[in-house]
Amino acid sequence: MDEHTHNTGDRRELRMARSMCWHCQSEMAGEYFCDRCVKVQPVSKDLDYFSCFGLPRRLGIDTNVLEAKFYELSRAFHPDFYQNKSDAEQTISLGNSAMLNTAYRTLRDPIQRAEYLLDLEAGAVKDIRTTPPADLFEEILELQDTLNEFRASDRTSDDASALRSKLHVDRTALEQRQREMETQLLQLFGRWDALQDRGEATDQSRAERNRLLKDMRSILSNRTYVKNIVNDLVETIA
Amino acid sequence: MAYSEKVVDHFNNPRNMGSFKKEEEGVGTGIVGAPECGDVMKLQIKVQNDTIVDAKFKTFGCGSAIASSSLATEWLKGKTVEEAGKIKNTDIVQELNLPPVKIHCSVLAEDAIKAALADYQKKADTK
Repeated sequence: MDEHTHNTGDRRELRMARSMCWHCQSEMAGEYFCDRCVKVQPVSKDLDYFSCFGLPRRLGIDTNVLEAKFYELSRAFHPDFYQNKSDAEQTISLGNSAMLNTAYRTLRDPIQRAEYLLDLEAGAVKDIRTTPPADLFEEILELQDTLNEFRASDRTSDDASALRSKLHVDRTALEQRQREMETQLLQLFGRWDALQDRGEATDQSRAERNRLLKDMRSILSNRTYVKNIVNDLVETIA
Repeated sequence: MAYSEKVVDHFNNPRNMGSFKKEEEGVGTGIVGAPECGDVMKLQIKVQNDTIVDAKFKTFGCGSAIASSSLATEWLKGKTVEEAGKIKNTDIVQELNLPPVKIHCSVLAEDAIKAALADYQKKADTK
């Protein structure tokens, strides 16, 4: 049995364990509402965001389906519809709505979605340690020096305008790099999903899985570093 | 959320900002980053006779990260290499009154100290 199906198995058990209606104690078959007393049920904390929307745990998801499901559930849980209900139901409606919003925001953005999925999967990999990008760090700190120099300068001086042009060039180069990273990420996402779809349990597929997790982790991290310095550049020289 | 007075003080008057030449004898350099927030920290120590005689830092990040590394360099000066290895992120949290969301900044500072010490050791061993 590979890790993937094993995980799903665990989750099914968890869901079974809470499959009793908090109100009428009857067996729950429906997802978020009791079939018998129709009371709203709390979304389990163990439910991941993908399952929450009934989506497969993939990096490429149909965002139209995500949005449609989000609206459907938002309506179902909306606190406005629970104003005349019991305190317990109001609390559940609030909790579910909050969870739903976070889940939607996370999955809507491809980068956040990947960060989230990596967190989910990292439990199994234990350790996605990547080598810190020493060169990138050096570069960022050096750029930071130039930025500070520019900030301290008399903006109208020749020196300042030379610095500004240099920073403009750096900015363009970094933005280009950021785009390249995003392209690389999308390729990795595709390979990850394909691997999941194949669902093999060989040593080879496990090695591939760990390699992909590590590669995604390191590009995602580097992208954050680059994004931060780009933001700083934009703010300073704008 | 407001920064504590000590954080603001270190942020406005950072101690020991700057850098040493990496190749210089007795200098250990640690560069670390926090992938969650994108902060980058460089911390350097200068060691003579097993004692840290000087320390410098350069940090690109939030106020708490700057304050954490600034404080770390202050603490490092005058310590032996062994004592320096005992500085914990929790000490920094306590001194600066860091809120829970900023604890990772102190972790980054501890990592930077460890990296600088390791680099110094490596250089000393290969001499």
